[in-house]
Amino acid sequence: MTEAEVIELIDSSLAEEFELDRKDMVPEANIYEDLGLDSLDTVDMVIVLEGAFAFKIREEEAVRAIRKLEDIHHFVLSKTGQNS
Amino acid sequence: MIEPQNKGAVAPPPSPLAILLMNLWAYPLLVFLTLAGVLFFPLGFAYGRFFRRWQADRLTRWVIWVYGRCWLLMMRPFVRFERQQMELLEVGKPYLFVINHLSFFDTFCMALLPIYDIAFAVRSWPFRMFWYRKFMYLARYLDVENGSWDDSLASSKETFATAGSVLFFPEGHRSRNGSLQRFYSGGFKIAVAAGVAVVPLCIVGTDQLLPPGRKLMHPCRISLRVLEPIDTAKFAVEGGHMQLRRLVKGKIEKNLAEMRAGLD
Repeated sequence: MTEAEVIELIDSSLAEEFELDRKDMVPEANIYEDLGLDSLDTVDMVIVLEGAFAFKIREEEAVRAIRKLEDIHHFVLSKTGQNS
Repeated sequence: MIEPQNKGAVAPPPSPLAILLMNLWAYPLLVFLTLAGVLFFPLGFAYGRFFRRWQADRLTRWVIWVYGRCWLLMMRPFVRFERQQMELLEVGKPYLFVINHLSFFDTFCMALLPIYDIAFAVRSWPFRMFWYRKFMYLARYLDVENGSWDDSLASSKETFATAGSVLFFPEGHRSRNGSLQRFYSGGFKIAVAAGVAVVPLCIVGTDQLLPPGRKLMHPCRISLRVLEPIDTAKFAVEGGHMQLRRLVKGKIEKNLAEMRAGLD
C-alpha cells in the first residue's frame, strides 16, 4: 500500500464511521475542535483503525498524543512501515 | 440523510395572529407553571419522601414528568400532540432511550411517554438554568459534557437498578436544519455495558414549534413514535456499540422520513 493509499484508507474509514465531511478533513484539522470528535470517539477511532489496518494499537502511548488528523496519518504510516 | 423540508403538499404556515395569540398564551403560562412548580415542589417532595417513601431522585423525576404533562395540557389549544406505538413499552422496565433532537421543548414532550422515571443525559448548559438546576441534580440527570464516562456509567447503572430509565440525545445538539446529525457513542456504550435495551424514539414537529435560534413559538403538530426495544446482549462485543449506533440511527432515519411524510 502506498502512502497515499494509507492516508486515503484512514480518511475514508474515519469519514464513514464518524460521518465526517471529507472537505473538513485537512491534515492540520484538530480532531476535537475541527472535526467534532469527543473522548469516547478516540476509543472508537482506535477500533476503526485496527479494523482497517489489521494491527493492534490500543496500548500504544502515542495514540493518546493524537490531536490532529496528520498525527493519525503519521502514526499509522509509522505502524505500517511507510514512514520513518 | 433526512431532508429538512417536506416535499409535496406542505401545510400552510400559521397566521401572524395565531402566532401572536400562541405566544401571549404560552410564555406567561410557562412562567406561571414553572413558578408554581418551584413553590409547591417542597410540599410535594416532603409528602412523597415521608408518606410514600419514594427515593428523592425517582420522586423528582415524577414531579418533572407531571410538570411536562401540565405543559402538554397548556399547549393543547395551539399544538396537536400525537403518540405512536406506546404499547411497545413495558412500564417498570429499565430502558436507555435515544431520540433525535430538534428543539428545547423536546424534553418537555417526553411527558408524552407513559414512563415517568427517566433521567436525562444532557450537556452542561441546561444545568446553568438556575430555575431548573436544583431539580436536575435531585433527579440525577447526567451532565455528559462535564462528567466523566465512568461517572455517567455508574449513575446510569444505579438508575437502571431501581427500574429507572436514562434518555440520551445522541446527536449532542439540536439540529439547526431539521436533518439528523451524526450520532455520538456514549449512550450506546452505556446501554451495552449495563445490558439494558435501547429504545429509539422519533420526534417530529418540535422544529416547527421552536427551532434553535427562533424566539416565537408557532402552532404545529408534534408526533412522538416509540420504536421496538433493541436487546443489547448481542452487541456486547468489541465495537458492538458502534454497530448498535448505526442500527439505531438507520431505524430513526427511516421512521423520521415516514413521520415527516405523514405531516404533509
